[in-house]
Amino acid sequence: MTDSTVAAIAEDAIAAERAPRERRWIAVALVAPALLVVGLFFVLPLVLSAVSAFTAGSAFTTAHFAKALDLYGRDLAFTVAIVMLSTMLIAVAAIAIAAYLTLGEHPRAVAILRWLYRWPLFIPFVVTGQVMRTFLAKNGMLNHALIGSGLIEPISAQSMLDWRGIVVAFVWKQAPFVTLLLAGAMAALERQHIEAAQNLGAPRWRVLVDIVLPQVKGTLLVGLVLSFVAMLSVLSVPLMINPNSPTMITVDVAYRINTFADYAVANALCLLSLVLAAIGAAFYLRHAVQQNTRS
Amino acid sequence: MRVLSDVTLDVARGELVALLGSSGCGKTTLLRSIAGFVTPRSGSIRVDGRDITSLPPEKRGTAMMFQSYALWPHMSVAGNIGYGMRMRGASKNAIARRVDELLALMQLQGFASRPVTQLSGGQRQRVARARARAGDPALLLRDEPMSNLDYKVRIELRHELRALQKRIGITAVYVTHDREEALTLADRIAVLDAGRVVQYASPEDIFHRPASAFVAGFMGADNAVALMRDRDGTLRVTRGSGDGERLVAHFRSDTARVDASASQPANGELRLHGRVVQTLYVGQGWRYRVQSDDADVWAHAEQRIDEGASVAVIVPHDALLLFPRAATAG
Repeated sequence: MTDSTVAAIAEDAIAAERAPRERRWIAVALVAPALLVVGLFFVLPLVLSAVSAFTAGSAFTTAHFAKALDLYGRDLAFTVAIVMLSTMLIAVAAIAIAAYLTLGEHPRAVAILRWLYRWPLFIPFVVTGQVMRTFLAKNGMLNHALIGSGLIEPISAQSMLDWRGIVVAFVWKQAPFVTLLLAGAMAALERQHIEAAQNLGAPRWRVLVDIVLPQVKGTLLVGLVLSFVAMLSVLSVPLMINPNSPTMITVDVAYRINTFADYAVANALCLLSLVLAAIGAAFYLRHAVQQNTRS
Repeated sequence: MRVLSDVTLDVARGELVALLGSSGCGKTTLLRSIAGFVTPRSGSIRVDGRDITSLPPEKRGTAMMFQSYALWPHMSVAGNIGYGMRMRGASKNAIARRVDELLALMQLQGFASRPVTQLSGGQRQRVARARARAGDPALLLRDEPMSNLDYKVRIELRHELRALQKRIGITAVYVTHDREEALTLADRIAVLDAGRVVQYASPEDIFHRPASAFVAGFMGADNAVALMRDRDGTLRVTRGSGDGERLVAHFRSDTARVDASASQPANGELRLHGRVVQTLYVGQGWRYRVQSDDADVWAHAEQRIDEGASVAVIVPHDALLLFPRAATAG
């Protein structure tokens, strides 16, 4: 073997060693813009928010949390209650609609429902809030319809622009989203699974409870967690329907900033709502991990 | 779209009837209409004299075994088998007893709590059979239950099913496109073609006395030769017309032999002279495709003959299945 051959082999070896290192840099360069966006617009504001919530001047403090809980503890509980109740009602509505789409006997009714249920998906929360104001007010469309049909007396008409209005708005807006996911999962089930149960004597509701729901519960959970987190962050609906105490903490955050420029308490409230969202996210992640393990 | 028309079938108690036909002939639709998943536009379906035509599937008292087995993956073996009894309000003890009994019958002892996703194809098939039978249904419906199994398991299962059928006498309708399966398992076979029952008879009758050229072809007599029967009963191979009865003769290739030795014609046999155009080795001898001006047939021989050789295909008269030939046919 000549010297030049040895040198060539050595060069090749160095090049081969260098190649993965170069590839690594290309990979980092490709990921960098996305990382930068996440870092600048998500992680940094979150860290700054947390720092602001835990500091007074430059000293560490929990006073802002104490103040937030003192002033808005009731609103925090109200928020949890509203969002939990809405999530449960969304689950009921989504299961009912998706079940009819999957197990319904009348093709025309199924087609109409399939066309109708998606409409609220395309309407923003702020418009939903406005729609509910005209629909649920004391002299709104709902009461007009009830009085007109003779179901209630004009004297007993009452405004539903309180916690009930928020729940109705949330369910109306979010149920189609969960239904969309759930109906897709139900449609993907093998049809013969349903027929086998019917064939063995199961009525439709038993088919739903015993056969269909256990196989799509993962999708239902994901839809509900995503809705839960989305509803926690909505400002427009509670602001338009029920801005007075008790109200949702998004309204309180807006109030602390707009009226008092009190970013520290506002940030403390935001972190508390992040903890709530994190509980939902934990469910979501646990399910995702279970699915990955199974597949 | 009309899938079935003029279908009349009666199934005696304890009888296994096979619906046999090629893909798209309507046999699965017929089974699904008995199960209640398809509603017929006219006619009626009766079980034990009770009209079930307008009843939903869950109230029919029939049990169906699906081609894909349709076992519920989120339930255990016992959960799957006992579901039908649970729907009928049977007690937990009764369900457990019946599940144990069926698991023993299906040779699946110890599998009760196993998830069905951990079973082999053959085991799943057994669980599906047990599930369909758990509630002692008045009528068992089976939609190609063996099509997903490999050949060896299928053959074993055929024998096992036939023995079980003889012993227990389950009333069942069995859909298949496999003629051997239908012949082995069924007490009677209904051959379907384009949504109609073209013959409904015992396996022996269907095999030896097919009612039409279609049934003969479907049951394996797929060699067809145009013939003329003279007044004295002589059969002549001809596509043309003339005095005599125009016929088409069907025969199975294993009843015909290829003769390359120019032997003397004998009485009681049909001779077709032609040339070997294709050779297939089939283990017990060879199959030859022989073409002549009047016919294109497959026949059997134990010895090897080269392609291109002039031969005679000899079919005994009693192996010929004769049907009238339409005037327009060639």
